[in-house]
Amino acid sequence: MTKPHAIIIGAGFTGVATAHDLALRGFDVTVVERGDICNGTSGRTHGLLHSGGRYAVKDKESAIECIDENTILRKIVPQVIEPNGGLFIAIEEGDLAYAEQFIESCEECHIQLDELTPQQALKLEPNINPKVLSAFIIPDGTFDPLRLALAFAGTAKHNGAKFRTYTEVQGLLTDGKGTVTGIKVLDRASNKSQELHADVVVNATGAWAGQITGMAGLDAPVKPTPGIMVAYDQRFVQRAINRLNVPGDGDIVLPQRRMVVVGTTSFDAENPDYIPVTDEQIKIMLDRGSELIPGIRNAKPRGIYMATRPLVGGGSGRSIARTFKCYDHKETHGIDGLVTITGGKATTLRAMAEKTADVVCAKLGVTTACVTKETPLLSYRQYYTIPN
Amino acid sequence: MTEKWNITLRVSRQKDTENQHFDDFKMEVNPDEYVLDAVERVWAFMDRTLCYRHACHHSTCGACGMRVNGVEKLTCITPIRAVTSNGATLKVEPLRNFPVVSDLAVDMGAFYRKMEVVSARAVLPITEAEIENPATNWPQNDAQFLRLSDCLECGLCISACPVAATSPEYLGPAPLAAAQDVGIHRNPELLGIVDCEDGVWRCHSAFECTAVCPSFVDPARRIMALRTQVIGAKLGKLFGKA
Amino acid sequence: MNNQPSANKFWAWFNPMGRQVGGWAFILNRITALGLTFYLFLHLIVLNQLAQGPAAYGGFIALTENPIVKLGELLVVAAAIMHGLNGIRIIFTSFGIGVTRQKELFYGFMVVALVAILFFAARMYMG
Repeated sequence: MTKPHAIIIGAGFTGVATAHDLALRGFDVTVVERGDICNGTSGRTHGLLHSGGRYAVKDKESAIECIDENTILRKIVPQVIEPNGGLFIAIEEGDLAYAEQFIESCEECHIQLDELTPQQALKLEPNINPKVLSAFIIPDGTFDPLRLALAFAGTAKHNGAKFRTYTEVQGLLTDGKGTVTGIKVLDRASNKSQELHADVVVNATGAWAGQITGMAGLDAPVKPTPGIMVAYDQRFVQRAINRLNVPGDGDIVLPQRRMVVVGTTSFDAENPDYIPVTDEQIKIMLDRGSELIPGIRNAKPRGIYMATRPLVGGGSGRSIARTFKCYDHKETHGIDGLVTITGGKATTLRAMAEKTADVVCAKLGVTTACVTKETPLLSYRQYYTIPN
Repeated sequence: MTEKWNITLRVSRQKDTENQHFDDFKMEVNPDEYVLDAVERVWAFMDRTLCYRHACHHSTCGACGMRVNGVEKLTCITPIRAVTSNGATLKVEPLRNFPVVSDLAVDMGAFYRKMEVVSARAVLPITEAEIENPATNWPQNDAQFLRLSDCLECGLCISACPVAATSPEYLGPAPLAAAQDVGIHRNPELLGIVDCEDGVWRCHSAFECTAVCPSFVDPARRIMALRTQVIGAKLGKLFGKA
Repeated sequence: MNNQPSANKFWAWFNPMGRQVGGWAFILNRITALGLTFYLFLHLIVLNQLAQGPAAYGGFIALTENPIVKLGELLVVAAAIMHGLNGIRIIFTSFGIGVTRQKELFYGFMVVALVAILFFAARMYMG
C-alpha cells in the first residue's frame, strides 16, 4: 500500500508541527517554504511559553489550550525551553482591581497560581519595579523560537518528511473539477519551476494564508495583525514578567539569552511581507517596559522587529480570540484537497498540528491516532544534520 | 525627524551552479535600522529571488550570520550606522567555509554535526551560566532553573577562523567551546574527541572567533581552557587518578 | 558553490581583509615563519661554501658587507624576534594566561620586538 502524500505549505510553527504529526501517522510529507525555516512570524515570536494566565479572564478557550500545551511541550521538547515560570505584577491600584478576576479565572482554567507579597516578588526578581503592589507566580516559560521549530522539523525529517526551503508556491493544481491535487512551485535556489502532486495540500502559511486561499479563489481566513518587539541588552529577569491587567501594549518582558525582550503592540496590516518599525512603537515599548523593569531605561536596544500574528475570526486587534481554526475547504467551499490551519499561538503549535492532522486523516480515511503528546522530540540539530 | 541615508547594498548572488557575482541595490535607509532590515527590503520590494536565512531578528536564533564588508556579523543586531556611512556601499556576502545554498544562504549541516559530536548543551543550569547581570546570587529555589546556552550556533566563528578555512575536519571554535562547557569531567568521552589532530590542538590562536562572536561565548578562551582540561585529564590518567 | 573549507585555500591565511588584531598576529606569525624557513635553507647553502675552501668562504663574507645583504640579515633578526615573542604570547594564552588580554599582549610584545629590532639595527649599522 502506498503512503498518502501530504504537501504542507509553510515551515513555520504550524507547518513543522503538522509535518511531525503526519509523519508519525504514516504520511509521506513534503514541506515547502519560500524562505528558510521559520523566517516569518514564527521566528520572530516573543518566545513566551504561555501558561494561559494572559488569556484566562477574557478567552478561557485559549487559556486552557495554553496550559495543556505548556505542560506537554515541557515534556517533549525541554531542549528549547527555560521552564522558569512567570510573574504577573501589579504596579498601580488599577492593576489590583484586576487581580480578583485573574485569580478566579486562573483557577477555573486550572492554571497553578501562587500569590506573593511585594517583598517576596522582589527577592525572586530584584530588577522588577520596586513599586510592585502584588505579584502572582504562574507556570509561564520561555522558548527559543527557531529551535522549537527545528526540533519538530528535525524529528519529522527523521521520520521521513522532506523539507524544501526556498521553494515558493506559484499556484494550485486542480483536476479540473475543483479538487486541489498539488501545487506548482518555484525553486528559488535554482530558479526552476516544478509541479508537485499530493493527496492533500495543507495551507499552514499563517498570516499569509490568504495568499494561498486566494489561489483557490477563496477569501482570506486571517487578519494579519503585527506587533513590535524590542530586545534590550541586559538579562534583568529570569522569569517572564507580565503586567497584571487586561492584555495591552508592551506588558510582557521576557528573558532571552543575555537580553530581555519587551512586547508588544497590535494593529492591522494588509501585506505581512514587510512591516516597518516606527519610532512611536519603540517608545511605547520603552515606556511600558520600564514600568515593569525600570532598568530598561538605561539598557541599549539590541534588535527591534515586527512580527505579524495570524488572527482568525471577527473583530480587530486584541479583541480577537487567540485560538486557532482548521478549515477543510471541502466543507467550507466545496473545494476538496485543501486544508487551511491558521490562528493560534506558538505555545499551541502541537495542538494545532493534531487538529489539522485529524482533519487530514479523516479526509483520507486514515485511522492512525495522534501520538505527538507522548513522543519526545529529537535534537533540533537533526534538522540540519539529516540530509534532505 | 528620522535620519535618512542613501546607501548601495552590494549583495553576493549565486544560484545553482553559477559563479558568485554581486548585484547593487540603491536604497534609502534609516541608519539606526539593522543590516538585516535592508536585506529584507531588497527581497520584499526589489528582488524576490534573493535567498537569505533569518528568523528571530534579535540575536537569539543565529540564523542571519553574513559577512558585512568582509567581517562576520549577525545582521539582525548590526546597525547600518556601525558598518557604513551615508552615500557609501555596503557589501553583504555569505559566511565563509559553509557550502552556499543560494545567494546569502548557507548549509549548516557539517557544523551542526560537529555540535552533536561534542554533545553541546542547549540548556544549562542557571547557576552555570556566565551572566554578569544581575548578580548571580540565586535564591535557593532558583538554583534548579535552566537557561538557554549563550552559543547561538550561528557559525560566525567557523567563518572567521583561518584554520577552519583549510581543514574541513577541524572541529572549529563553537564545537570546541561547547566541549569545554560540557567538560571532560562530565563527559569523559570528549577526551578522545577533542584530543586529536582535528581537535583542540588544531587551533592556531588567531582569536578571530572571539572577535566575531555575537553572543559572549568567547570561543578562544574556552579552547584554551579546554586544553587545560585535556592536559589535566591526561595527567590524571598517567598517574592513575580515577 | 566553492565556499567549502579546503586545504588549497591556504592563501586565505594571508589575507588581512576583515581580520582583527588576533588575525594580524596569526598572519605575521605565518609570514615570519615562512621567512625564517627560507632563511634556514639559505643558511645551509652558505655553510656549504665552507666545504669549498677558504677563498670561496672569504668571498662570501665580503658580500655580507653589502648594505642590501645587511638589510636582509636585519629582516631575519626581526622575523626571529617577532616570531619568538609571538610564540611566547601563544604559549601564555594556550595555558590560559592573558587569553582575554591577547590583544594587549600582542601589542606589548610587538613594542618589545620593535625596541629589540632597533637595538640590533644600531649594532649592525653603527657598531
